[in-house]
Amino acid sequence: MALNDSLREMFAMIELEMRRLRHDRTEIYTRAVQPVLWLAVYGTVMSHVRDIPTNGIPYIDYITPGVLLQSTIFVSVFYGLTIVWERETGILKRLLVAPASRYATVTGRAIASGVRAVVQALIIFPVAILLGVKFISNPVYILSAFLMLFMVSGGFAALSIFVASLMKTRERFMGIGQALIMPLFFASNALYPIKLMPPFLQSIAVLNPLTYAVDAVRGLLISGEVANIPVDFVSVIIFDAVVFIVASTSFRRIIQ
Amino acid sequence: MACAIDIKQLTKVYDGKVKALNGVDLTVEEASIFALLGPNGSGKTTLMRILTTQIQPTTGLAFAFRYDVVKDDDEVRKIIGYVPQEMSVWTDITGYENLLIYAKIYGVSSACRTKVIRDALQNMGLEDVADDLVKRYSGGMIRRLEIACALLVKPKILFLDEPTLGLDPSARKAVWESLRSFKREYGTTVFFNTHYMDEADMYSDEVAIINRGRIVKTGTASELKRSLHSEIISFRLANDGTGSSCAAAAFPGWEVDALTKVRALNLVEDASIHNGILDVTVENGEVAMPLIMEVLMGEGISLEWIRETKPTLDDVFLKYAGMRDRSGYRYGIK
Repeated sequence: MALNDSLREMFAMIELEMRRLRHDRTEIYTRAVQPVLWLAVYGTVMSHVRDIPTNGIPYIDYITPGVLLQSTIFVSVFYGLTIVWERETGILKRLLVAPASRYATVTGRAIASGVRAVVQALIIFPVAILLGVKFISNPVYILSAFLMLFMVSGGFAALSIFVASLMKTRERFMGIGQALIMPLFFASNALYPIKLMPPFLQSIAVLNPLTYAVDAVRGLLISGEVANIPVDFVSVIIFDAVVFIVASTSFRRIIQ
Repeated sequence: MACAIDIKQLTKVYDGKVKALNGVDLTVEEASIFALLGPNGSGKTTLMRILTTQIQPTTGLAFAFRYDVVKDDDEVRKIIGYVPQEMSVWTDITGYENLLIYAKIYGVSSACRTKVIRDALQNMGLEDVADDLVKRYSGGMIRRLEIACALLVKPKILFLDEPTLGLDPSARKAVWESLRSFKREYGTTVFFNTHYMDEADMYSDEVAIINRGRIVKTGTASELKRSLHSEIISFRLANDGTGSSCAAAAFPGWEVDALTKVRALNLVEDASIHNGILDVTVENGEVAMPLIMEVLMGEGISLEWIRETKPTLDDVFLKYAGMRDRSGYRYGIK
């Protein structure tokens, strides 16, 4: 019964997000601009630099998984802003007074953000193909890659909800969000292999969930090297479990 | 009549120093409309947030239909509806969709969902705008949508924090009429905070005044007004009539007699005469008026007109909660 209630609420939260998206799709399109520029401009220019060891993969292909994940994860990292806004209005108070578990609320919203991320990626995907990126056309691989994208985006959304429950105001939240974004992207294997980094940065990259997500998506969509996939998925599952629990536990704090 | 809300010695201290509630005792009867009045910072929102399980009290107990708001908070949440002071609907989806999401959160079965939502829209008069985005709604429509969301599951207690703040008079009236008809139909207990005295006066069955974290007065609006003992009945004594009254009016001596007799009445607090107008201060005008008139008639005095001045709830509020600013700082923050 309790599980039923929680599932029901989670689906309500996902439905809410989908309905919002349906009423205003502009955000999805405008958010696709930046990743497309990363591929088209940065990728094209950097592909002339032969010094980055990509195991023979064209550079633009090499960074596509990273750019795809970056664009979706950035949406998730700022998902907490929605929560801050809902705190400023009375929506959160209302939700917390409803007979629903806060775990379901947090999980539902994080998952909703994950679904949003998948929609986002689906828009960038064809653009990458147009730019000449060659994807492995194995449907199981593609589905697995999207599953990874969904899982890691949901995790970062939960992390963002956790930050929102501590920061509580838009300004403070933005500060943390911006501070998080840069190291998240550059201390990962999104743009270059980890072994190029100084040791200090390498140790951060090893703890960065984005590294595992990029590794999995790159293996599944571009390189076909799938040996690390189980480790990648397990790492992201652990990350998700930790942030979901932490975010749910601190969620009530946001209205106090 | 069962007790919908029962509060015993409730206190709330924020950060170990700001005493928002200082021993609140209160009971609210089932199926009544209860108004909680208080100046800013008096603790009324804190009290409502404790009753709706958002925050926990420092000490004391509070029950909603025998469920403890701290220990049985899950049960409490199942029987209450709540509309916060701030806007609490999603503005980027339609009114219908807001209700649909809430219906799903509250677990309204899919079989009766459509009917429940339609009823709620109808109750609040929102059928025509159900499919418009909420961002296009007026303030009154948003408030009614919020109440509709809270009423979806027919809660046993409905909590409203400043329900008509910022609404124009006709929107306020519409909100209250819908609430009253809903209450009549389902026997819902309505507990609301407000600044609008006229609203408490017109729509509540019982009123409590909270000041400095304590309930300072409870009763029906008319009881509270009567408790001021300041209803004034003015009688214009006829000075150009015929018969004995005219003759008597020529001599101030009769005024003194009449005054003494009126003052001697049990129900009269005070009486005085100025320029041919007799002002009598009483507790209950309806009961006192015939007795005073009897005395005046007995004295052979006829009357030109009678005017009754009743205290308003504003007067009650000022008497019991108007002391706030005397100390020079906002209560609770030294």
